[in-house]
Amino acid sequence: MSLEKVIFGFFVLLAATLNLGFFIGDISNPALHNEYELFAAVVVNLIATVLKFGDRTQIGAVHLATSLVADLQLIAATLVWVYATQISEAGMTAEATASVVSLSGGALLANLVSVALLVIETTTFHRR
Amino acid sequence: MTARRPAHKPAGWPSVKRRTRMARPSEGSPTVFLVLRRMRAPLIVLILIFAISVFGLTLIPGRDAAGQPMRMGFFDAFYFMSYTATTIGYGEIPHPFTGAQRLWVTATIYLTVIGWAYAIGSLLTLIRDRAFREALARRRFTATVKRLREPFLLVVGYGQTGQLLGHALDALGRRMVVIDNMPEHIDTLDIDLYYSDIPGLVADAANPHTLGVAGLEHPACEGVVALTDNDEVNLTVAMTAALIRPGLPVIARTVSPAIEHRMHAFGSPTVVNPFDRYGDHLRLALHAPSAYLMMSWLVREEGAEMPVPGRPPASGRWVVCGFGRFGHKLTEDLRADGHEVTVIDLHPDPEHGLTLIEGDAVEPSVLAEADLRTASGFVAGTDNDATNLSLVAAARKTNPSLFIGARQNRPANAPLFAAMEIDWLLVPAEMAAREIYARLSTPMLWHFLQQMPELGEDWAAETLDRMRAHCGSHLGALWKVTLSEHEAPSLQPWLHAGILLGDLMRSPHERDRRLDAVPLMLKRDGETVLGPADDVMLEAGDQLLLVGRTWSRRALLDTMSNRVVAEYVLSGRDVPAGWLWQRVSRRIPTEVSGGDSPGRSSDDR
Repeated sequence: MSLEKVIFGFFVLLAATLNLGFFIGDISNPALHNEYELFAAVVVNLIATVLKFGDRTQIGAVHLATSLVADLQLIAATLVWVYATQISEAGMTAEATASVVSLSGGALLANLVSVALLVIETTTFHRR
Repeated sequence: MTARRPAHKPAGWPSVKRRTRMARPSEGSPTVFLVLRRMRAPLIVLILIFAISVFGLTLIPGRDAAGQPMRMGFFDAFYFMSYTATTIGYGEIPHPFTGAQRLWVTATIYLTVIGWAYAIGSLLTLIRDRAFREALARRRFTATVKRLREPFLLVVGYGQTGQLLGHALDALGRRMVVIDNMPEHIDTLDIDLYYSDIPGLVADAANPHTLGVAGLEHPACEGVVALTDNDEVNLTVAMTAALIRPGLPVIARTVSPAIEHRMHAFGSPTVVNPFDRYGDHLRLALHAPSAYLMMSWLVREEGAEMPVPGRPPASGRWVVCGFGRFGHKLTEDLRADGHEVTVIDLHPDPEHGLTLIEGDAVEPSVLAEADLRTASGFVAGTDNDATNLSLVAAARKTNPSLFIGARQNRPANAPLFAAMEIDWLLVPAEMAAREIYARLSTPMLWHFLQQMPELGEDWAAETLDRMRAHCGSHLGALWKVTLSEHEAPSLQPWLHAGILLGDLMRSPHERDRRLDAVPLMLKRDGETVLGPADDVMLEAGDQLLLVGRTWSRRALLDTMSNRVVAEYVLSGRDVPAGWLWQRVSRRIPTEVSGGDSPGRSSDDR
């Protein structure tokens, strides 16, 4: 067992679970989507991305790509949230909530792919 | 060590000429990945510090302008942390902080400063890092080599010999790519003055992939020159080139006959052994001083002054100090000439017919044993310059009339050897560089030099006189012309009847004058004529090697490419240059026509 693999798996999985936690619930109800959870998802996703830097294998490259997609989606969700809470007059309306949550839903898909890759990698390279 | 061969190739030697591709190691990853990999830890630390600081700020209760309790939103907290962490500092927004908030912010300021310092520090270390710089240099080198479009030589080993050769070839306008395992040697590419930009890489040439990176498989690679100090490496380079690019010209330097033999097992490399040449030249100088003089002049660069004819080597008994690879070669050559040889060495291998003295030649008693008073020649041939110099001094003291030969190993010691006025100095690096230069610059010159000694001393002396009469005491241009359709279009109408060499050598300005050029060799269908006389008939396809002044070279080019000039030079007729005037004046230059004689139109006058 290598500590590196533990940390790597931990962050990849945590990014997916936090993302799912934020995403779940009625898509247009702001009360069901906690901003702290979104914040945690962004931070953990960024860390997961950095952990994937510099891996030169094919699977490593796909890993990095999925993480970058998730980051992009989550940052877009955060920007929509900032727009709704800080700039827009209307505040967190049902529409704004829906677009934040749906963007994070896209990130969730990318994170699920990431987890799938992690599982594939684990089963393929079990000797290493 | 051999080049990797693809697995699907059948074992054994395919008889067809093939090219093996080298599988490149995975060095294709961009440098940015190296940066990313190294920056992993600092970036994660930075993200964590930011996350903790922002998160803490949103949790700690604050107060708005009206004094109502409120909490900072994520956006405000992130905004505040961003400008605080980067030490820009716009103040406390949106409302002045409470004590609890200030306490937290104080802690986060120190944290973020540490985070940034760590990240920036890591980045700077990375840029200064040796491995990183090497990766960058290799990448730049690979890209430069890939972009080369002109034919280039791959020079492996850029020590003394390499640099001498490099400067000479660069002056000729040849392109090179250089590999050496010593960073100092590669640095000279930047420090010294060169006309062209020479890409250089610090790498182990014994690794075939290094040669691949340096363009061995590049279509514009016209040859490989292996000049490292290590014979094994030179052998590996010659082998790699022969296996990867069969048929590519390879020139390799070695001082070991065994390695030379092994090199010849792969393709047909040209092997240069400076120790071997020294003896050959010494013999040549013994028999034909003028031939030797001409040879040592011709292998120099254009504009080189004629070497001063030194003292001719003496016949009689020779004393050779140092019986290593150099000593062996030299005694072999001397004995082949019938000279008696006495050898002094610390541990000489007994050899039949040689007088061997065991001991350190520097010791007066050992040197006295060799009885220098009755000897006629003395060679200090150890691999230590200080020893050689002191040996020469000691030998001179005993017998001032000795013919002195010495071996100079380090270029820095050149002034010392010059001050000693050695009769016959061997600088292995220079000798190898000269020979390779002669082979590469004008391949025909090399054939000439190989065959020239056979013609004897008188012929050499006469040719040397002609060269001096035409070029003065500075070596003129050496060039080759081919009387082909492509190179000499204006001579074609005359060539089927044959042109007298003497006619071709007439000056286009005044045909009674001769060009300042000496034809050294004529090559026709693989057969060569050395020093062709003026009454030799030239035919289509003949190749001529000439030495002479630069203006003569241009004049000859004129004769060969301009019909009007050719007409004047070969027949003495003045023909108008333009088509219309030729018709009007009815003076038409000789045409290419099967049976007609070249002078057909001359009666139109």
